[in-house]
Amino acid sequence: MADLVKLTIDGREVQAAPGTLVIDAAKTVGIEIPAFCYYEGLSLAAACRMCLVEVEKMPKMMTACTLPVAEGMVVRTETPQVKAARKGTLEFLLTNHPLDCPVCDKGGECELQDMVFRYGAGESRYNETKIHVPEKQYSPVVFFDAPRCILCFRCIRTCNEGMGVGALGVINRGAVSEIAPSSGDHLECDECGACIDICPVGALTSGTYRYQTRPWEMTHVATICTHCADGCKTTLGTRNDRIIRGNNRDRSGINGEFLCIKGRYAFDFYDAGERLQAPLARVNGKLEEVSWSEALLLVAKRFNQVLADGGSFGVIGSNHTSNEENYYLQKFAREVLRTSHIDHHRTGDVVALVDALSGQTGKLATVADLYERKAVVVLGADLSLEHPLLSNQIRANWRHHQAHVYAVSAGTVREDKYAVASVRVGNAAETSDPSRFAHPQGKASAAEYLAALEQLRDKLKAEPELVMLFDDSFKGGDVRKLVEFGESLGIPVKYIGLVDYSNSRGAIDMGLTPELLPGYKASGQPGLHLEEMLAAELSALWVVGANPFQSGAARKAGFLVVQDMFLTETAALADVVLPAASAYEKNGTVTNVTGEVQKLKHAINTMGAKPDLEIMGFIAREMGVAGSLGPWIPDAVFDEIRKNVRGYEVPAPVIATGGAAQTAPVNGRVPVELRPDLVHSDHNGLFASGTLGRYSKVLHTVLESRLSR
Amino acid sequence: MANKIDILGSAAAIAKGMGVTFKEMLSPTVTEYYPDEPAKFEERFRGVHVLQRDLNGMEKCVACFLCAAACPANCIYIEAAENTEQVRISGGERYAKVYNIDYNRCIFCGYCVEACPTDAITHGHGFEAASYNTSTLIKRKEDMLAPIPPGAHPPVVTPASPAAH
Repeated sequence: MADLVKLTIDGREVQAAPGTLVIDAAKTVGIEIPAFCYYEGLSLAAACRMCLVEVEKMPKMMTACTLPVAEGMVVRTETPQVKAARKGTLEFLLTNHPLDCPVCDKGGECELQDMVFRYGAGESRYNETKIHVPEKQYSPVVFFDAPRCILCFRCIRTCNEGMGVGALGVINRGAVSEIAPSSGDHLECDECGACIDICPVGALTSGTYRYQTRPWEMTHVATICTHCADGCKTTLGTRNDRIIRGNNRDRSGINGEFLCIKGRYAFDFYDAGERLQAPLARVNGKLEEVSWSEALLLVAKRFNQVLADGGSFGVIGSNHTSNEENYYLQKFAREVLRTSHIDHHRTGDVVALVDALSGQTGKLATVADLYERKAVVVLGADLSLEHPLLSNQIRANWRHHQAHVYAVSAGTVREDKYAVASVRVGNAAETSDPSRFAHPQGKASAAEYLAALEQLRDKLKAEPELVMLFDDSFKGGDVRKLVEFGESLGIPVKYIGLVDYSNSRGAIDMGLTPELLPGYKASGQPGLHLEEMLAAELSALWVVGANPFQSGAARKAGFLVVQDMFLTETAALADVVLPAASAYEKNGTVTNVTGEVQKLKHAINTMGAKPDLEIMGFIAREMGVAGSLGPWIPDAVFDEIRKNVRGYEVPAPVIATGGAAQTAPVNGRVPVELRPDLVHSDHNGLFASGTLGRYSKVLHTVLESRLSR
Repeated sequence: MANKIDILGSAAAIAKGMGVTFKEMLSPTVTEYYPDEPAKFEERFRGVHVLQRDLNGMEKCVACFLCAAACPANCIYIEAAENTEQVRISGGERYAKVYNIDYNRCIFCGYCVEACPTDAITHGHGFEAASYNTSTLIKRKEDMLAPIPPGAHPPVVTPASPAAH
């Protein structure tokens, strides 16, 4: 590391690495230099002039946000001249800024408001009529109010650089400059809402949050997004048991402030009209509402009867329920119902990856690795649509560290734009069909991907280190071949096996498969897998948070119990439907695609619904077996998981305080027959989220607006 | 001697007392015959709130929540909603769909009135808020709104607001 540069800011000695900007150097000693356009991680604009400081031997004031530190530099940030400049800048910004703070959504968390409060210009000399421009709607979720805009260009930069979309630009010049979509009157983008979030004033506002409440009225709950497997932290603003908005302004969590449309807006499924709020039981062939006690008793009685008759149980778990619920469910199935017929929809072959990496440590990449490692290979998945956070991390890595990205895919992907090498395989047609936002098209076989990798071998060998991401094109033996290829490169390689949903990884870890117990231990007992359970004549089938009958398969089981939020195809066939709480309505932990465990926090209550863990606990109590299963309290079950499940000895304080801890690799062969035929990813794009996505109004509206164009 | 001084002193005291009596006898009466007659208030008396309307008859309140934020008793509850082309309630983009004041808790300090940027909430002279049933002390927007000024035609009549929370 180069020698530190010494400089003086406001009479204080500061040491900073060469190339550090004065604004950042000042921050290290607690001196705040105000700025609007400067934003960590984005390119420099020097547009707002708010950060002007005096520098000795320089004739004029300098913008601290573009001035690198120099040896012996003397900076002053609190002189009368600087104060006057700040006040003057604010007065200029306010000349045409409407004073509609009481109505503006940003009021209370507005950077302009705060700056004026702190640095003056409370009174204006400008008494003329302000120019009013009517508000415009750029997309179903983005509104633009031109007079409020202070032209800091953060939105343009975050869209272009941060998201790699470039849907926003600036039109006209000087005082009449305006932020506008690059494609005329509407945005053609990911609808991620980053522009709204980053706007320091209320110029860009959210279509769903607009005029709903004020920021200080909300309770903010930092929980984990329940859609894809990336495990972004989303801070939900709640009021009166309603979720009003999602964002992550405090940059907590593995995703920093990044969120896609699903994390920011698609929490609205919790409030869909179709939400079940009372248990249903089949009476004379029709599902009718019953009380919780009736429904639970019905299930418990029937389960006990099947047990007494020596009947067979099938249990199907979920990709969305918490680790605690999955653990409790498999324990319930194996210890109480005495069955090995337990499975879930497998969306990626993690088992094969864990098996192939046995005996090695530090081979599973974390989300942070994608930002830090020197080179990344993306195999198969259209990452920017299917795993927005991972894609964003790689893009940021390329922008900040010039990482080498290799894209090996069937169709064009966003990584192509900055990849050092893009390889097209298979026979996918180039598509600009907007429906790809819901379901990305184009897949090739593992053999084709591996052949393409061989072409890249020499380039990859030259890299100092590598992260490889692969989707469900690689299953079973193909995963082993991929790992063999990676290990043959002679450089440190880490892997990420992509899975679909918020706790797909946790479901495998918690043993929701017939062949594996929690922690990848062999069950040693033959059991039916998901497809076989649907086809078998089981005495009772218990489906928790899954929709296996979506395909239209006929129900064969004698008794079907379903725990779900909605009356899905599966629930419609059930004898008893128990309304479950969503991930935002309960506590617990989930494990993301990279094996990082994070805590779900209870944000709201929804009338009538109960968390799945509580429902299972109540069924156990009614059956008279609760004692052997232990308490159905998320924290207690998590303690048990930490003790009993291999790899889950994660530090409890990190999890409890909202951090993320990666589960340790299992480190040993997984002694089971791999079932690659059962692995099938749904390949949800940005505007789809499996069965859950069907109940999100925002996802529908956005996709429809896209398709109708 | 002493006796004479005593008599004079007593007479002076009686005269002084009677002076007050006669003076008050001639001055106008201040006794109010409430409840037989309406009570009189100083202009700045802080009574039950009134939510004002503008000259067009629209509600002045834009649901900025500043009154609720200023309220030391935490007795103001607001739910905001957006004005649309079809339903236009207030002059701004937002209006108060629900506006409740809990008079069980209100201490009539007037901070809400001071905080209001649109002069929408004011103290009226209503004071007969007492009730045997505390649930009736939560006043809804409709209970507090000023009447539509004569001659004004607000675009849309306020729709019935959802039940008070």
